[in-house]
Amino acid sequence: MSIEVVEPGLLSSIQDPLGRREWRHVGVPSGGAADPWNARLANRLVGNADGAALIEMTLIGPALRLGVAATVAITGGLEATLDGVPLPPNAAQAIRAGSLVRVGSGGGARGYLAFGGGLEADEVLGSASTDLRTGFGGLGGRALEAGDRLQLGAPPAGPGSLWTGSWAAGPIRIVDGPHADRFAPGALAGGRWRVGVEADRSGVRLDGPAPATDVPQVPSIGLPPGAVQVPPDGRPIVMLADRPVTGGYPVPAVVIGADVGRVAQLRTGDEIRFASVSLDEAREAVRQAEDELAALETRDGPRDDGLGWAGSHR
Amino acid sequence: MIRPFGEAALLVELGGPDRAQALAASIRREPIAGVVGTVPGLESLLVDLDPLSADAARVPAALEERILRLADAPAAGRLRTIPVVYGGDHGPDLAEVASMAGLTEGEIVARHASAELRVLFGGFAPGFAYLGGVRDALDVPRLATPRTRTPAGSVALADGMSGIYPAELPGGWRVIGRTPITVFDAHRLPPAYLEPGDRVRFEPIDAVAWDRFGALPDDW
Repeated sequence: MSIEVVEPGLLSSIQDPLGRREWRHVGVPSGGAADPWNARLANRLVGNADGAALIEMTLIGPALRLGVAATVAITGGLEATLDGVPLPPNAAQAIRAGSLVRVGSGGGARGYLAFGGGLEADEVLGSASTDLRTGFGGLGGRALEAGDRLQLGAPPAGPGSLWTGSWAAGPIRIVDGPHADRFAPGALAGGRWRVGVEADRSGVRLDGPAPATDVPQVPSIGLPPGAVQVPPDGRPIVMLADRPVTGGYPVPAVVIGADVGRVAQLRTGDEIRFASVSLDEAREAVRQAEDELAALETRDGPRDDGLGWAGSHR
Repeated sequence: MIRPFGEAALLVELGGPDRAQALAASIRREPIAGVVGTVPGLESLLVDLDPLSADAARVPAALEERILRLADAPAAGRLRTIPVVYGGDHGPDLAEVASMAGLTEGEIVARHASAELRVLFGGFAPGFAYLGGVRDALDVPRLATPRTRTPAGSVALADGMSGIYPAELPGGWRVIGRTPITVFDAHRLPPAYLEPGDRVRFEPIDAVAWDRFGALPDDW
């Protein structure tokens, strides 16, 4: 028995939260979930290891018919219903065979749907993540389509869990990038920016006050996630999971690791502001994000009653 | 020069590709605690850190020490030979590259095929290798308007470098020929025929010889 994709949504693909790092020196992007923290959260809620394969959904999610009972969790920026009833986010839910999970839009760009046991997927170059541009990994290297059937791995032991925290608010935190000294101080932190139409898994392009620089190009450098490249048109690009591994535009700033997922949740037209922080603050934010994952509350109540927890969410 | 690149990476500026590759090779051979990955750039190495590891703070000093021990001479590198059909439908920009230089198409081909190029770094797309050692008449700017589709195997020039499109991709480089061989296959290990440090020679072939070359090179 399997999970049937009834409607695929706008862009739903199999990803894992960790991506592939091993082959970046030959140009293979790291890929993986664009908002890795929310993807790891979804996996942990259902008792999976961090790296289990799940579904990343974009703007409008899929409709899925479960041919098998499963424990699921939805996290991130999209909202779902279970047989027409709102499915509580950020909590493991035991779901009966035959149920319809429909994921719509929500407060962000991307949602993550994890299943206890994880999804079976093509593991290529060390990751089940779908590289949509080149076409490998996940499900034949492509986005989900109506009629696809997904198989689950063996469900993990142990109870599901619940996250009761809330997303960070406020400006996106940045630290200086390698070319910060080639830009005016506060070139990014001083401005109000808006997410442009070019916003995908590779990066998010911003409209706003073009930062002035004296270097149109630099010798190409390897790019970590969150690097903010400024091409000659002055529209900064925040690099995300599917970014090219190297780039030759100057990088005045880097979004801190704890906030890269927040950038991945921005939609075209959203306003974005930056605030400069220190490296120590950036490390502390990573530590807090990890602590939050480590401190998930165990979900009490029956797990396998076949009735599902939807509706009894505390 | 070692610069922080976010809390989870360092950018080590090494002044040239040989030392960037040598440092990457050194870290592969003998890992540094707290380092979780590297990516060579043109003159630098991106070094990924685990920001929560107690070892992360000691990585810069370990890198400094490692840089002091790098050999002066670059490693020899494997020699890769790439068969190319130059010009015509396979190399739509060859004529313009020749006229920009005031040379004949044959002279451009001769120069491209006689140079020993070197893989500097990867990027742009899986399996795309930036090849250095392209000089003089072959050092041409990108197209003013990039193509929306460049066929897989296209051999191209731009900005003092050469490259081979591993798949059909958009691109702004000037295409002078095309190779029948595959240079990237995600389902092989390693997935790329060319890696940083490899030496590369292009070998002109006739269009009629295209089918004699298997999709996969024998020495992959």
